[in-house]
Amino acid sequence: MLNSLLSQYTRSLILVAVLLLIVILEVLEVRAAIYPGLLPFFEWARSSSWLGLIGTTYGSIYATVEAVHLLSMAVIGGTVLATDLRLLGVVFRDLPSETLTKGTHKVFSAALISAIATGIFCAAGVGDKVYYMEVFWIKMLALVAGSLFVFLVKQPLLNSMPHDEINPWTIRLLAVTSLLIWFTVAATGRWIGFS
Amino acid sequence: MDNEKKMTDKEITAIGAGVAILGSLLFYWFGQFISTIELLELAYGSLNFFNNPLTF
Repeated sequence: MLNSLLSQYTRSLILVAVLLLIVILEVLEVRAAIYPGLLPFFEWARSSSWLGLIGTTYGSIYATVEAVHLLSMAVIGGTVLATDLRLLGVVFRDLPSETLTKGTHKVFSAALISAIATGIFCAAGVGDKVYYMEVFWIKMLALVAGSLFVFLVKQPLLNSMPHDEINPWTIRLLAVTSLLIWFTVAATGRWIGFS
Repeated sequence: MDNEKKMTDKEITAIGAGVAILGSLLFYWFGQFISTIELLELAYGSLNFFNNPLTF
């Protein structure tokens, strides 16, 4: 009975375990305990790592990498809008959503890798500044949550069966959640730029 | 006769993760909205977008 439940609902049980773990870590204030210990790493990234040194020494290289970062974020935004608005039935209604989601997911994955790689460079150049910004940590949290959501929850469900066999409200929930996650990543990213 | 389709593991995970993340993000942005309103009230005494004392 227990074995059958474990094998039948593995993902759901892992999700419950992860949510419980997050609550326990917050109650025990583990995040607050880890935070001060991260400062030396950010200071090292800014002043001693070769990424930080290049970023702070050559403004043109920093600007070029940041431009690639923004372009990658724009591509992520485009694929997210195309996919999720199609899932909501707002755009591209003449295209099968299965075809569109598979096609955009490949572009999304490539853009995400590019955004993360260039983002590490950009953050290293201003490591001692972003460390103190709450909005930077909100962006990182949204980025991690968004990536896990897309690769472990959204795509596995959308690839597992024809979309008309999935409850329409589940599809709408997936689309709205995805839109808000990537809106948060983009908005907090710009917020960092204006802080 | 059971006509209701049983939900799959992936569907339950999607609903659970979706509700948790969506709820957290709505809570965050609502908090930001409230703090912005409070800042505006602190700056201008009351919200008065069309008779702003700083713009003559």
